[in-house]
Amino acid sequence: MLIRRLNDDSIEFADIEPVEAELLRQVSVIGEAHGDAGAEARLFSAPAAPSETQFLKDWEEYVRPELRHLFLAARKVVEEDVSTLSAKAGRFSRMVFPLSHGEAWLSALNQARLILAAKFDFADAELALHEVPKTLTKRGLVLLQINFYAAIQERVIEALQGEDDGYDAVDVG
Amino acid sequence: MAETLAESKTETRLDTPWNVVVHNDPVNLMSYVTMVFQKVFGYSREKAQTHMLEVHYRGRSIVWSGVRERAEFYVQQLHGYLLLATLEKPE
Repeated sequence: MLIRRLNDDSIEFADIEPVEAELLRQVSVIGEAHGDAGAEARLFSAPAAPSETQFLKDWEEYVRPELRHLFLAARKVVEEDVSTLSAKAGRFSRMVFPLSHGEAWLSALNQARLILAAKFDFADAELALHEVPKTLTKRGLVLLQINFYAAIQERVIEALQGEDDGYDAVDVG
Repeated sequence: MAETLAESKTETRLDTPWNVVVHNDPVNLMSYVTMVFQKVFGYSREKAQTHMLEVHYRGRSIVWSGVRERAEFYVQQLHGYLLLATLEKPE
């Protein structure tokens, strides 16, 4: 899969393999269906010490619903972008979305990575490794999925910061 | 007539600054954390990277200090970017 910023202020994902397309479709789904206490705790972490009772109460009442809405909105943007995936002749597909969707992509990818990391209880050391697991267990595949999303995040960040020269595509995986 | 001296004492209480602290987590990318600091606080890339590295190597960084209301706002912004951020009173 290749990711590049186009001159018209948009980001292109090209040469998307079927398995990559499936992983892209899962970005918004993972966020919607987590229902996991650990994942929930990580997405909505405590903003202060327990002694800050009033602040924490207000946060639960007003801020947390806003954050939930913000995260949902980002996933919706990604879901709609991914729904435009078009299959070219052969097995690759492609999509282009506005640069303004970049932050939504970063958020949705982050949500997916945080949820997967919490659900499968990965240790810091495991997440720091970017090696292909020796045996492809479900856990090993999930780690690959987390790293795949991280690679996309890196490219989207570069596109947002204008580091891409416009035409040099970089191979993500 | 006895002279009365009135003593007045003026006490100025400065609002204690609050810290916005960002904590390390293994999932958020270094480039992402740097970008968020630039966006939320308007920091230069160098300053944002310094804070990011402090988070990465020391486990936490005080990324901003000041009045409580503003600190609360920044903590909320950082949570919107899914960073582990807390509001803390300086010890």
